[in-house]
Amino acid sequence: MKNIIKLLRKDFIRFIIDKPAVMLTFLVPAVLIVIFGSIFGGGKGSRGKIPIIIVNESGVELADFIESEIDSSTSLRSVKTISDDSNNVIDISHDKAKELVKTGKYPAALVIPTDFFTDTSSALNFKYYYDPRNEIESQLIQGTIQKTIFAKMPQLFPLLMQRQAESFMGGESADSFKTEIATMMSEYFDMDPDSIIESMTSFDITELTNQNGDDSTNENFDVISNLINFESQQLVGAEIKNPGVTRIVGGWAIMFLLFTLTGAATSIFEEMQDGTLKRIFCMPIARYQFIFSKYIYSISLGVVQLIVLFLFAYFLYDVDIFSNIGNLLVIIFASAAAAVAFGMIITAASKSLAQANGIATLFILIMSALGGSWFPVTLFPDWMQVISKFTLTYWSVEAFLQVLWRNASFQDLLFPYLLILILIAFVANLIAINLFKKRQVI
Amino acid sequence: MPILEINEVVKTFNGLSALKKVNLGIKKGDFFGLLGPNGAGKSTLMNCIVGYLNPDSGKILLNSNNITDLDLSYRMDIGYVPQEIALYQELSAMQNLRIFGGFYNVSKKYLNERINSVLNLVQLDDRKNDIVKTYSGGMKRRLNLAVSILHDPKLILCDEPTVGVDPQSRNAIFDMLAELNKDGKTILYTTHYMEEAERLCNRLAIIDYGKIIAEGTLNDLISLLEKRETIKIRKAPETKSLLESIKNLGDLGETDFYYELIPSNSSKLNSEIFSELENIKIPPHLLELSRASLEDVFLNLTGRRLRD
Repeated sequence: MKNIIKLLRKDFIRFIIDKPAVMLTFLVPAVLIVIFGSIFGGGKGSRGKIPIIIVNESGVELADFIESEIDSSTSLRSVKTISDDSNNVIDISHDKAKELVKTGKYPAALVIPTDFFTDTSSALNFKYYYDPRNEIESQLIQGTIQKTIFAKMPQLFPLLMQRQAESFMGGESADSFKTEIATMMSEYFDMDPDSIIESMTSFDITELTNQNGDDSTNENFDVISNLINFESQQLVGAEIKNPGVTRIVGGWAIMFLLFTLTGAATSIFEEMQDGTLKRIFCMPIARYQFIFSKYIYSISLGVVQLIVLFLFAYFLYDVDIFSNIGNLLVIIFASAAAAVAFGMIITAASKSLAQANGIATLFILIMSALGGSWFPVTLFPDWMQVISKFTLTYWSVEAFLQVLWRNASFQDLLFPYLLILILIAFVANLIAINLFKKRQVI
Repeated sequence: MPILEINEVVKTFNGLSALKKVNLGIKKGDFFGLLGPNGAGKSTLMNCIVGYLNPDSGKILLNSNNITDLDLSYRMDIGYVPQEIALYQELSAMQNLRIFGGFYNVSKKYLNERINSVLNLVQLDDRKNDIVKTYSGGMKRRLNLAVSILHDPKLILCDEPTVGVDPQSRNAIFDMLAELNKDGKTILYTTHYMEEAERLCNRLAIIDYGKIIAEGTLNDLISLLEKRETIKIRKAPETKSLLESIKNLGDLGETDFYYELIPSNSSKLNSEIFSELENIKIPPHLLELSRASLEDVFLNLTGRRLRD
């Protein structure tokens, strides 16, 4: 037993002094748990509200009521105004809402049109514009809107059914039918036929708005859905053959790119350990040439890796990479440059290969989770969404989405996506060079 | 005129002095040995000469030119054989030679000629296409040397090139270096093996704690000793108990099989010392007279042995 304890002690001591191993064992899972927990609930952090544009063009009370129901949703954040070029806050119009969705500023817009609910309406009319760039996000928005509206449908049901019947039978037949029913009931129950007709045709909207929604209405959706005219229009990506893969390919590509390129950058440590770095530094080769060659090599490797990944996606899953190939190559290059710069910082800041690998794995997994490689960033709590914007993964994933999903032009990509990726590469390289100089590597 | 001059070179690491105003002059054609124990500053000096480290102060002159004033092409004149096996072990010998040779900006034709020449010198022609990691330790060492002399340098810096090598391969490396020296190459060779230095080098310097403590030919250094011979006392059970008495006669060192005595009174004849040893009951058959070595010089200068 003593020997087993001694052997255990030996293993624990070795583990504790191995900082990368400790980080990977505890810190990475802890951070990932926080991120997953924030998305799927159960943790202290609540999931972020997904923004949706609401344009209420109808003047009826019911429209205002549905709008306020969406405003109070725990999953959605209503957006009704924007700042114009002069920084004045203006209401979002119907057309502006479409434009904002089309350009990727917001994932969806719900328009409650002027003909939403009139005196003769047999159904509620909605216009819904969306950009399903993130499948989970898109389903969440649609689900929440439908639930909010449908929850109020049982109270509207009699009126709308009546109007449906009138529409089916024709005005005269319906009136005649109602008169006959009223006459028959007045004979049996000794009531005034006019008051019976009045009660059959009148509908108090305030009664509806004063009642709370019933969550158990899901099973009635099929019936109720006939009473709702939900006119959906996918503004972006409708022509994409394989939207599922098109959405995720960029996120996964950048994650693997980070692993590959960090490995390429940290190979400087291998050369250091093997002595080949010293041998090269004793040859007629300047040190900056060595670092620069590593940088170019890593970028080339990254570009080739991404091209191969996208070609796989093209051949296996019909992801259209050729209709915007020029811009795709630009983003591939910019992402590779930023990823290599990230690897260079890790290399320059680390003291050993093991440490570099540990730190790299930690940052890559966290950046991938936070940056949107795995889940849409809009599902995160607001504070986490702010942090995600400080990861290169976020900008790279968004840039790939712009190219593949939105078929964005170079001008659309330039600001902010491309400029930010280039800025990340530039700043990270500056830091790495300074660290290398400080450590007298160059 | 010296091919390499080292003037007042100082190098410190985190406040620890690795080189303390080192001065050395190495003439063209020299096989110059830099002898010192581990941590004496030999490799640091080598790293400064090849430009891997920058000295804090002092000058290193190659052909009378300060290397810090020269462009990197001065390294064409220097071949550096590192202490470690600095090779891409997953590649073949040929691939290693082509890759490293390519850094010297020589023509492809010349490089191919040189590759054949060095492969022949280090006797690896028949294994040139094999992956380096399949080589024995000695073969790797030879290839390590081959890569360093590929560009036909005038000055070869060997930083303990035989560490961890079997005697046969070590002899082969010695022969190769001797041949290169014979062909006119100047060699600076660091080692902590005095036998290597004695065998190979025509001139030597001894470095300890970052300072050159002696410099000259082997004879010059041995002449620093008041006695040019040492008395070896073979280790035996009966000698062990008499060590204190022996120490009264001079500096006493120890190797695996012998105690080595450098008598403190240089005016005494060896026969007198032998008599005194017999008087303290050391059996005569355990005593030998040996010519003083660099080990004795180092012991005499520092009070320590090279391998302490």
